Amino acid sequence: MVRERPGTPADAIQEVVPRIVLAPSSPAEAAECLARSAAERLAVAFVGGGTDLGLGARPARLDAVVRTGGLSRLVDHAPADQVVTAEAGMTLSALGEALARHRQRLALDAPFPSRATVGGVVAANAFGPRRARFGSARDLVLGVGLVRADGTAARGGGKVVKNVAGFDLPRLLVGSLGTLALVTQVTFRVHPLPEVEATVLFPGLEAEQVRALAAAWRAAQLEPSAAAAVLAAGRLDLGLRVEGFEAGVADQVGRLLALGRKAGLAGERLEGAGEAAFWRRHDAAREQGSLRVKLAAPPSRLADLARTWLASVVGELSPSAAVAYPTLGLAFASGEPAPAVGLAAALRDVRAAIAGAGGSLVLVDAPPAVRAAVDPFGPPPASIEIMRALKDRFDPDRRLAPGRFVGGI
Amino acid sequence: MSGPASLAELVGRMAAVVGARNCFSAGPDLLTYECDGLTHGRTRPDLVVLPGSTAEVAEVVRLARAAGRPIVPRGSGTGLSGGARPVPGCVVVATSRMRRILETCLEDGWVRVEPGVINLDVTRHVSGAGYYYAPDPSSQSICSIGGNVAENSGGAHCLKYGFTVNHVLGARVVLHDGRVVDLGGPVLDAPGHDLLAALVGSEGMLGIVTEVTLRLLRRPEATRTFFATFPSTDEGGEAVSRIIAAGILPAAIEMMDRLAIEAAKAATGLDWPDVGAALLMDADGPVAEVEDVSARAVRIAREVGALELRLPRDEAERQLMWKGRKSAFAAVGRISPNYLVEDGVIPRSEIAPVLREIEGLARDHGLRVANVFHAGDGNLHPLVLYDARNRGEEERAEHLGGDILRMCVRRGGSITGEHGVGAEKAAYMADMFGPDDLETMRRVRAAFDPDEAMNPGKVFPSTRLCGEKPGPGGVEHPAVRSGEVQRW
Repeated sequence: MVRERPGTPADAIQEVVPRIVLAPSSPAEAAECLARSAAERLAVAFVGGGTDLGLGARPARLDAVVRTGGLSRLVDHAPADQVVTAEAGMTLSALGEALARHRQRLALDAPFPSRATVGGVVAANAFGPRRARFGSARDLVLGVGLVRADGTAARGGGKVVKNVAGFDLPRLLVGSLGTLALVTQVTFRVHPLPEVEATVLFPGLEAEQVRALAAAWRAAQLEPSAAAAVLAAGRLDLGLRVEGFEAGVADQVGRLLALGRKAGLAGERLEGAGEAAFWRRHDAAREQGSLRVKLAAPPSRLADLARTWLASVVGELSPSAAVAYPTLGLAFASGEPAPAVGLAAALRDVRAAIAGAGGSLVLVDAPPAVRAAVDPFGPPPASIEIMRALKDRFDPDRRLAPGRFVGGI
Repeated sequence: MSGPASLAELVGRMAAVVGARNCFSAGPDLLTYECDGLTHGRTRPDLVVLPGSTAEVAEVVRLARAAGRPIVPRGSGTGLSGGARPVPGCVVVATSRMRRILETCLEDGWVRVEPGVINLDVTRHVSGAGYYYAPDPSSQSICSIGGNVAENSGGAHCLKYGFTVNHVLGARVVLHDGRVVDLGGPVLDAPGHDLLAALVGSEGMLGIVTEVTLRLLRRPEATRTFFATFPSTDEGGEAVSRIIAAGILPAAIEMMDRLAIEAAKAATGLDWPDVGAALLMDADGPVAEVEDVSARAVRIAREVGALELRLPRDEAERQLMWKGRKSAFAAVGRISPNYLVEDGVIPRSEIAPVLREIEGLARDHGLRVANVFHAGDGNLHPLVLYDARNRGEEERAEHLGGDILRMCVRRGGSITGEHGVGAEKAAYMADMFGPDDLETMRRVRAAFDPDEAMNPGKVFPSTRLCGEKPGPGGVEHPAVRSGEVQRW
């Protein structure tokens, strides 16, 4: 019997309170929830850790919320095969602890690891700085268990690291924000935990210096696993993470510092508290503030991204924080909106400018006033017709997170 | 049966779009298009068209559809699962004339190419600047990017670097009705459903790709390779497991069994010893890291009982070692008149017992199997040897191949790691996926192509007509042969 209770304001998705909350404790119960939703024609949204409910638009209708917290089992971990299958509601932290016992990890360092669930991370395409080396959820997911709007359970992909049988349902669900199906379990490729991790910091750089240094380490064939430029008083503090076996890490750290010296930049290898403090500043830019915005642009436009676009958004926030991933061309600004009028205009201007560079601006979270003035995704892409057709095939009654996605899907 | 236009009329209209020499419905040229790299189960297409641009592809698709004909997209035709096999009455649209490299941006790490560009030519185009395109199927000197996108091609190095899907950033696609749409692009995370992820590996069933934006990687500073021999695949498999368990991520780790080694030697003249198993491993990355990692792997290989370890003295010797591995498929032709190439995946920790099981299955069928495989990711390529001149042997080979694939599924693996399902393995999809899984996948297809006009008869199992049997020497149902029934 699926646990059920009335919805409360704490269950709201962008101020829309569901009538009921369903809490399945197994994939089979999750299928029951959707079969019932289909029979009663309920509009339903899925909630894992609730860390990305600000992403996307306000639901057009919301009768029921299905909370996946009860789907928290580690289904299967085969350390020798480097694959793990977890139920959708398992948190990244819990999964990380289980994997660490075998000196492995899921190389997906998304924000809020103690609350973010594997299903939510897949649905929201959440990621962290290690994306530079290991890719995003799309690169690490191998298989999914899902339940369709009509209550049918199905699966796609597989449980081995290499598999091209059938259409790629797992990757199609990455970033789909619960609009196509409920993810009930996920199989990921996992990686060995590195023997050593190190962070090299180059503080107080101009965007052009970051770009030149990135070109230099690429030319030198060095391979940091993450690069994060945290905005500080108009300049960028660039942190580079190097991971692996001791010998290789020590060598790369030395060579990165030498490259910096050659460019006249003072760098240092951070230790202990200093290293933790740098990554805490990074995390703050991803996790704090009622407003969080994601920007995407070509990496070669880093100067525009950091100095113009990111700065325009940050200028309207107080307090504020921001981080750019220079090799990915992705950046986040966060903080508290000052006067909301200026912010909305700034967001629209930046969106228009960044679209001209082939990029995008997406609201990751925003207060209602900002949301009312700025579309969370911006104008839909040319392929929106196929997305609508896909939605029609998976959810013909438009009951799964209706109105939450791009183009009102 | 073929809609409003007669074939002659259609040929005339197609010729007006692509030029008469790029469109043919008779003559010896048509033979080439009866099959792809999977040479049994030939079907003659009614018409082959070679468009030269996105606009031409769109017009060709519109004309074919107006004539009510199914469309079979084709790249270089090197696929090993019959993904480009024609269906009766179809128009084959081959992208082999679209071979331009359109735009390159090294700083942002991408190149935009037409689908007929050969895989290896992408790397050649940027190698002077120290970049490369990672997916490296063994056929990389002849297979096309369009075909790679359709099949989500892999290669020896996808253990570390991933498949085609991990390296395609964007695509321009002609849909079933001639509409042209761009999916993804060089900038990451375009808002919306990840239609590009659905497209890559959809085996030409969602549309025809006319431009592809590929991710380029900086070449690693160093690559260290070693070749190790073992008394049997048990020790070889154990070496792979221990290397992985030690936290090492090789760029590639390949294994061959006794029969495959014998074939590779016969074909290339390499001075490899006659042993039960050989392992070929690449580690790549910054020099210090690679030296360290490679030394660790060599130590492990010794510990589990390697008979001999060879480190190439120079790049030429390294290339020669890889040539032995990459030529293994064709090399099997030296030791057997005919062979089937299988492509299955198992959890890599089960390599040793699986190889013993394959040996047992082969014995039961009275056949020999040579094994060449990507050991790091458990992707097996059993080569089933047979002699078609012996009555019934071809059928036995086919049954053995099927038994091996079902064994892969039973052990939690897959019926294909990189060759695709195509026409050949559609029947095995039901062994791996349930009806609801397949029906869910069909919904993706329906969103792109509700009429199922693009590359029918692939991936999804169809109900067989009675009197028909699959595989080599298979007999088409008389109703299909006569054109009364089309099995899409």
